[in-house]
Amino acid sequence: MTLTRMSLNALLAVVAAGVILWLTTSNSLLGMFTQAVIYAIFALGVGVLLKQNGLVSFGHALYFGAAGYSVAVILQLGWMPAEWAILVTLVGIGSASFLVGLVIVRVPGIAFGMLTLAIGQMAYLLAVRARGMTGGSDGMSIQWPNTLFGVSQSTLLKPSVLFFVSWVVLVLVTCVLVQVMRTRFGAITEAIRDNEERARFIGIRTAVPRAAVYALSAVVAGVAGLMSALNTGFVSPENLHWSVSAITLLMVVVGGVKSLAGPIIGAIVYFLFKDLLGEHATHSMAIFGAALIAVIVFSPDGLIGAFQRLFKRKKVHP
Amino acid sequence: MSAHVLQARDVAIHYGGVKALDGVDLTLEKGQIHGLIGPNGAGKSTVIDAITGRRPLTRGEVTLDGEDVSHLGAVARRMRGLSRSFQRTSIFGGMGVRKQVELASYKMGVKDSGADADAVLEELDLRRLADMEAEDLGYGEQRRLDLALALVGRPKVLMLDEPMAGLSVQESHDLAHHLKTLTSRWSVSVLLVEHDMDVVFGISDVITVFELGRVIAHGAPATVRADPRVRKAYLGSAA
Repeated sequence: MTLTRMSLNALLAVVAAGVILWLTTSNSLLGMFTQAVIYAIFALGVGVLLKQNGLVSFGHALYFGAAGYSVAVILQLGWMPAEWAILVTLVGIGSASFLVGLVIVRVPGIAFGMLTLAIGQMAYLLAVRARGMTGGSDGMSIQWPNTLFGVSQSTLLKPSVLFFVSWVVLVLVTCVLVQVMRTRFGAITEAIRDNEERARFIGIRTAVPRAAVYALSAVVAGVAGLMSALNTGFVSPENLHWSVSAITLLMVVVGGVKSLAGPIIGAIVYFLFKDLLGEHATHSMAIFGAALIAVIVFSPDGLIGAFQRLFKRKKVHP
Repeated sequence: MSAHVLQARDVAIHYGGVKALDGVDLTLEKGQIHGLIGPNGAGKSTVIDAITGRRPLTRGEVTLDGEDVSHLGAVARRMRGLSRSFQRTSIFGGMGVRKQVELASYKMGVKDSGADADAVLEELDLRRLADMEAEDLGYGEQRRLDLALALVGRPKVLMLDEPMAGLSVQESHDLAHHLKTLTSRWSVSVLLVEHDMDVVFGISDVITVFELGRVIAHGAPATVRADPRVRKAYLGSAA
């Protein structure tokens, strides 16, 4: 995909957001769409780690929740304007996760997953116990200023505006990830994922690129966490809980890990599914679990893989 | 200055009480093909692992062009010109053929990595498959791709661990011919571990025989073939 084609696709995606807004009159439906888009960004973060590093994280809610807490605490203490708080949060998440990554990406397979789970749950317990700063189990409200990036809060918090902003952020994050994967760095991480030992024997030092992918995925999860913090104006230990990581991982697996479209589709399907279930939504995890089993059995490369196969077959047998 | 491009002195690798290698001395001259033979478990592949830094030495020293590389890791040794292929095909399955060879060349610091990749692909008759994903190649083609990854950046020493394994007779013959011509045209020295005795005795300039982690014979193919210890330990009376 050339840069021009990608820009065109991005533009079309933004136009699609306009069409969705035009067709959707219900604010509650828009709220659900916004949540789906935010989780699509989060799932992209988890997905890029799986796609480029081949590593499964059960603890990315750490970065999702930490982004909200970071902004909430900075704004509560009045250390800096919100715009700077957002930037500092993302840089902080990137730097901290890179250092964590340098240690844990050396651990293979399931042990890596267990480490991410342990680190994530440590953060969850810390948020619960540090009542003085985080409000404990009750969580904390985020004191967003009256204007953010020059836009008044009343405008920004309109369901249609929030949805559009989230959508644009999703498009931007996707474009950045696509571009990163096209670079030499992307090829190096693919090589390491496919065959780490061979990668070393063609002169690639493997720890730093793997840690960099881990940091990139954490920052993307952090972006989703910031959007969620903006959407709800609230952050609680639940945002850090392993079950949030698990649901997001589920979205990635259902959508498919081989392309970036997979996690996005997985997140959207999850939220549409939940909405369709209506009053039965309390059983959504059981039903989505069954759907997960079906996907793994019949299309291990997820919904996106099934679509691709269907499309190819139609092309061969018109 | 010594003509040895590679020298291993008193190399030992012990796993607890098990001596996978014990006091091995080995030299490789410029442009030479040096065959390593021996029964399974004799320590041939472990020698390659020791020289390339895949396994840490218990004792001994490895020098490349007179420089002691024993303390260096696998990446640093590869950058200095110690390259290898693996017993089991070791490629990047999900990546395009040219893309991975070009990446390997780039990582070796070759300025025009594209041209270098094309030259290597041409040499190993892989150019026509350049756009295919590696996992879609046939077995013989994957073995050649493994060799291509080892050849980029014009290494000084190429260590091949059973490169003919699983190939047809014709493919083995072609690859052996390639290796022989490569050593002179690309000025590369080869350390060859192989079970196909026709190939080893056919193309090697010198052969070292291993048994239980030790060298039991060394010399020109004819000398080694005639050595009674070798006949007893490995080749059998029919050889």
